[in-house]
Amino acid sequence: MAQEVEETMKRIQSHKGIVGTIIVNAEGVPIKTTLDNTTTVQYAGLISSLADKARSVVRDLDPSNDLTFLRIRSKKHEILVAPDKEFILIVVQNPVD
Amino acid sequence: MPNTAPKKAQSGVQAKKKEGNDADAEQYTRTRGLMKPKDQVELNAEQLREIFVLSLNSNNTQIPDSIVVWSYADLTFIPGPMAGNMVEVFTQKGSLLRKDSEEARQQMIEMGLDPAELDLESVEEEEEAALEDELMMEGEGEEAGEEGEIEEEGQGEGKKKEGEKEEDEEGEGEEAPTKPQKPKPGGRPKKLTNLFNFCERAALTYSNPSRPQETQTIPPPMATFSALVTPSLIYDIYMKDYERHEEEKERERREKMGMPPKHIIKKTPQQINDEFQAKLFKAARVLERMINQNTYFDIAKDYRYWDDPADDFKAEEGTVLPLWKFEYNKTKKHTVCDLEWNPYYYDLFAVCFGFLDYSKPVAGGALCLFTLKNPSFPDYVCMTDSAVMCVDTHKNYPYMVAIGLFDGSVRVYNVNYSCKEPVYKSNSVENKHRGIVWEVKWAEDTPDGELNFYSVGSDGKVNNWILMSSALTVITIIELLLDQPPVHGPDGTTLKLKASICCFKFHPVKPQIYMIGTEEGYIYKCSVAYSSAYLLKYEAHQMPVCQIDFNKFNTDIFISCSMDWRIKIWEDNRMEPLFVFDIGERIGDVKWAPYSSTVFACVTTEGKIHVYDLNVNKYKPICVQAIVSKKKNKTTKLAFNYNLPILVIGDDKGCSSIVKLSPNLRIPCRAPKKQQDLDQNTLQLMKLDKLLAVLREPTTLSLPPDTAEHDDD
Repeated sequence: MAQEVEETMKRIQSHKGIVGTIIVNAEGVPIKTTLDNTTTVQYAGLISSLADKARSVVRDLDPSNDLTFLRIRSKKHEILVAPDKEFILIVVQNPVD
Repeated sequence: MPNTAPKKAQSGVQAKKKEGNDADAEQYTRTRGLMKPKDQVELNAEQLREIFVLSLNSNNTQIPDSIVVWSYADLTFIPGPMAGNMVEVFTQKGSLLRKDSEEARQQMIEMGLDPAELDLESVEEEEEAALEDELMMEGEGEEAGEEGEIEEEGQGEGKKKEGEKEEDEEGEGEEAPTKPQKPKPGGRPKKLTNLFNFCERAALTYSNPSRPQETQTIPPPMATFSALVTPSLIYDIYMKDYERHEEEKERERREKMGMPPKHIIKKTPQQINDEFQAKLFKAARVLERMINQNTYFDIAKDYRYWDDPADDFKAEEGTVLPLWKFEYNKTKKHTVCDLEWNPYYYDLFAVCFGFLDYSKPVAGGALCLFTLKNPSFPDYVCMTDSAVMCVDTHKNYPYMVAIGLFDGSVRVYNVNYSCKEPVYKSNSVENKHRGIVWEVKWAEDTPDGELNFYSVGSDGKVNNWILMSSALTVITIIELLLDQPPVHGPDGTTLKLKASICCFKFHPVKPQIYMIGTEEGYIYKCSVAYSSAYLLKYEAHQMPVCQIDFNKFNTDIFISCSMDWRIKIWEDNRMEPLFVFDIGERIGDVKWAPYSSTVFACVTTEGKIHVYDLNVNKYKPICVQAIVSKKKNKTTKLAFNYNLPILVIGDDKGCSSIVKLSPNLRIPCRAPKKQQDLDQNTLQLMKLDKLLAVLREPTTLSLPPDTAEHDDD
């Protein structure tokens, strides 16, 4: 399974317009990244708090509901977030060629 | 006491004197004269002189002599104790001791005198005394007593003094313990304790002054805790509690039933890691789809929402809009040999990678399951060592995929479980087709509930494969032989030629009926029930039949295409085709559209798609459009999506293209004004029937010669 994850991540990274991918563990520590150190830390910290907030928004509106994915569209990028209890998967994409 | 009695007597006399002075004289005279009792015996002188002897003895006659006591032990009276003769008149206890008695000795020791010395002294004294007072025996005892008394008095004084001293000492305090006084020879005698003369003495100790003292412990560590209570948190905690209750109930229930408590299997780190990886994999896959959605945003929008507005102005023509192209790096040299939409997930389709040009074989093959949501990479990839020629997905179990291979074997994959290894694999030596497996098709489950599928191969056999729990078993349904006399082989042997099956289709309604297309150009109608003979034979084409497809609405109508460039539409039990279309190019595949009874599409080796709508035009296709480059690619297969107006077209460069049909290619039936309540299905049937009615010749008439066949001749 780990190998498949590796392959998928590699594929995502090689996809056109991808700026970087980050995997953050449950403690908020980036465990895998393709970005430079500073950016990674910044993304990990900010996105994990945002994901927590977003989750609480969804959960508080309906406690049986849960957040599955999060997409943030900005002028320059799109940040795709897959928040989980054990990890947060962040992909930064530049969708405009 | 001796004094008191005379006093009384005197007083008595005095009292008598007072009573009467005058009677004195009379009394006096009376006492003078003797008074005798009347009965006094008169004794004579002799009798008076007689002496009576009275003797005293010690016998007390007053004492009772026969006292008895009841004995409870013996249950009789037994003689009691005799009363003594002693009569106690007066008793007094004295404090005098005999000098030589044991008690006196003790006392002397306590006083610190040596009794032995004293004895000697006393012996000497006694001797002296004996010498002095041999005469005065009586006096000695008295003297000794007096001496004792004097001694006693002295002692008493000593006692008194000592007592005072002791009191003083006690008054000073108890801190100084009284040392046990050793008897000093000749010293002060020790005070004898008086057992009966107690006096209680109380003493007050100093009261200690109170003094406050305070200490402080190290304060426990403090931490500020702040939390926000949200409905989701409360919900979570309640759910946890509910789960716990459920668990307890379950445990109690199990206990009642006498079952052993459920074992909670602890996860190993490996398992936890696996779960984590699985979650990560899933998330990564979804993200990949999102990225693709962003990248192919325009196509995704077209796929759902774009309808060519130009169709409104083109009455009888339509177009197809190319959408994504699906490719897999490892199968770029392969030919798409079969395409199939998943019966459950309408956006998932299976692609078989093999080869059709036998002069240029390609090593290996693959089965790829693509989803429209991820055009960049197949969701499932099953690599095989031989070219994959055909595929079918079980309609109830959309993860069970059967494939037929170029080497004649069949495999069943459970893509949910593993794509690497098939769950069932036919034996590569015995249980296989002696030729290419051209088509596989899942059948209804057996009465025992086992999955089974049919396959046809170029060895002329139709096999039924049953997925037993342990292995794949095969039953040959039919072995098609050509209706030709046996060919003479070497050494005088004869050989019945087998029909080489290219394709087959089950009847959509009657599950035992199926159609077989052969390389010889015949179409056989067979039944599963008969294993030795076919039911009907259509002499359909001059070249191998590539595809047979039943109409989705009228199951008596089926279409066939062949390498002789022709498409023919047949009606069941009618030996002549209803329609014949000569495309002018080699046709790879033909299929009825699922949304209309009169629309069908075919792909040609020129890379074009031809779409016909018989209702619109019986002679010309309403759409001819190149999908791939004519020079490089040849389209081989196509498949209509059953849910959306799209179809997938495979070519010989391993590429599957999705195209969308323009509105003109999928015109829905309009209900006539008088029959507005008819549903689309009936309308489609009516449309086809109307069309066919023109073609169906009355049975009495002789058939006109088939112009198409005539041309060929």
